[in-house]
Amino acid sequence: MNRRNFLRSLFTVLLAAPFALRFRRNKSVLPGTLWQIDPSKCIQCGKCATACILRPSAVKCVHQYAACGYCLFCSGYYQDNRLKFDTAAENLRCPVDAIERTYIEDPYFEYKINEDKCIACGKCVKGCAAFGNGSLFLQVRHNLCLNCNQCHIAAVCPAGAFVRVPASRPYIFKSAGEAK
Amino acid sequence: MTPFLFAQARFPAPEFDTYRIPELVMEEAVFDSSLLRAGAIVLFMLCSGICFYRLRSRKALLLLHLLGLVVFGFLFHACPCPVGIVQNIAEGAATGAPLPLAFLLLFTLPLLCALFYGRLFCAGACPLGALQELMPGKKLHLPPALDRFLRLGAVLVLLLVLVCAVAGIGFPLCRLDPYLPIFLRSFNHPYLWLTVVFLLLGLLISRPFCRYLCPYGVLLRLFSLLSWKKPIITTHDCINCRLCLQGCPNNAIIAPENDDSPAQRKRGLRRLELLLASIPLALALGGFLGYAAAPLLYPQHRAISLEQKLQRAESALTVDAYEKSQRPAAELSAAADRGRRVIRTGLTLAGLLFAAWVMAELIVQARRRPEENIHRIDHTLCFCCGRCYQTCPLEKPRLSQQDRKT
Repeated sequence: MNRRNFLRSLFTVLLAAPFALRFRRNKSVLPGTLWQIDPSKCIQCGKCATACILRPSAVKCVHQYAACGYCLFCSGYYQDNRLKFDTAAENLRCPVDAIERTYIEDPYFEYKINEDKCIACGKCVKGCAAFGNGSLFLQVRHNLCLNCNQCHIAAVCPAGAFVRVPASRPYIFKSAGEAK
Repeated sequence: MTPFLFAQARFPAPEFDTYRIPELVMEEAVFDSSLLRAGAIVLFMLCSGICFYRLRSRKALLLLHLLGLVVFGFLFHACPCPVGIVQNIAEGAATGAPLPLAFLLLFTLPLLCALFYGRLFCAGACPLGALQELMPGKKLHLPPALDRFLRLGAVLVLLLVLVCAVAGIGFPLCRLDPYLPIFLRSFNHPYLWLTVVFLLLGLLISRPFCRYLCPYGVLLRLFSLLSWKKPIITTHDCINCRLCLQGCPNNAIIAPENDDSPAQRKRGLRRLELLLASIPLALALGGFLGYAAAPLLYPQHRAISLEQKLQRAESALTVDAYEKSQRPAAELSAAADRGRRVIRTGLTLAGLLFAAWVMAELIVQARRRPEENIHRIDHTLCFCCGRCYQTCPLEKPRLSQQDRKT
């Protein structure tokens, strides 16, 4: 074995050794990861709407119906300083009219997020968390997300709410049992 | 129903007569092509190997570049690429962050290839390289000394990026990558101006990113040092016409040095002695500069900047988020201390390594070259573009004859 061959095999071993050690230590790292928002950390700053390299953002508001109070006067739907409880734009919280309100039975209303319109500004999430049940929250939608190696929203998220999650559990829901 | 963790149940869910509460259905993630991409990279490196070593054809290589650009840049997810995965590897090794198998393959396969067949990854399998190679225009020839100096930039980028990844600052390379917005087709990129600058630079200079900034290129250079197969310009006897030297825009051709007079040798020896004597000084200087530069990186670290803002009682979104989260102060200060420690030691080490690299390059420059009378390719810097085959007056007729036969 000449010197060059020796050095080459040494290089190969040196390259392979750390990885071999890593895999012995932690076997759960094999599948890929995705970016996701931890709703318990999110402060609804609105950066999800602007920092994503996609426009509109890959983050969307998600409504967990099971936690919703189906309120007549939804604080995620209406502005704080509304003039009237009607569907005029100045009275609504959503800047793009992405929340659809439908009557179910007296006095309950269903609120549905139109994801084609939603820009992930988080205004409704903030309103719902402040006065309601907190059934609205923001999530990265993986059918839209490009899964950049460094998420551009994660880099500017003031709450550090962006985490890497295993691809087998791509969403962080608000209730403990329902987390997929 | 399961209890809610952090949703406040101010209003209990009503009991409906007919209405059923809809279930939340979320989309699955899009198909992760990383493993497939690792396979495709092997295939492309094989093809570029054939084009470069067997066919010796620049046309075929350019075609491969075009194909690589389409496949790796636009068909597959361009991100993460082996260049950016350098950071994942560092972060994974230092903090135990998740490191998928596909990332490991994407990172190691091109390096293994470099260990045997040189930098074939740069010729077709890298979308960043392909985009720069396909840039039209006559390329400037930078003076060799300036070229060597600028190439140190890539080493600096590699070391900085490693420190950032290990310290938990994030992946600055992926945020600043000038060509990524093109592949992601994003016009909402915060550093879009860098894209424009590098595209314009690419018209004048051959592969500006690859040569002067690419951190993965530094690793490829190191691995290809021991490369088994080396390209040669012509199979005939070199007539030293210098045409390949002028044809290579990457300064990857080594010209023979004829001045071997005793005076020249003496001067070379003197310079070598001086360099060897100044190694400790250079290392100390590098280490010190790295240590002194640490505070420049502190504001980029989440915990450190948050601590600074809290101390100065600034109003910022991060401060609001921190106060809302009610995390204990000890946790934050521990994270900040760890960050400061890692950045300080990391940058000191980076400074030392950088100084060592500079000294090694200077010594390699100053040492006496083996006596040669041919022009040869420096395979650690060669991007396998095939230009020298085209310009060589001995090779060109041979290749065209070969073409006619086949």
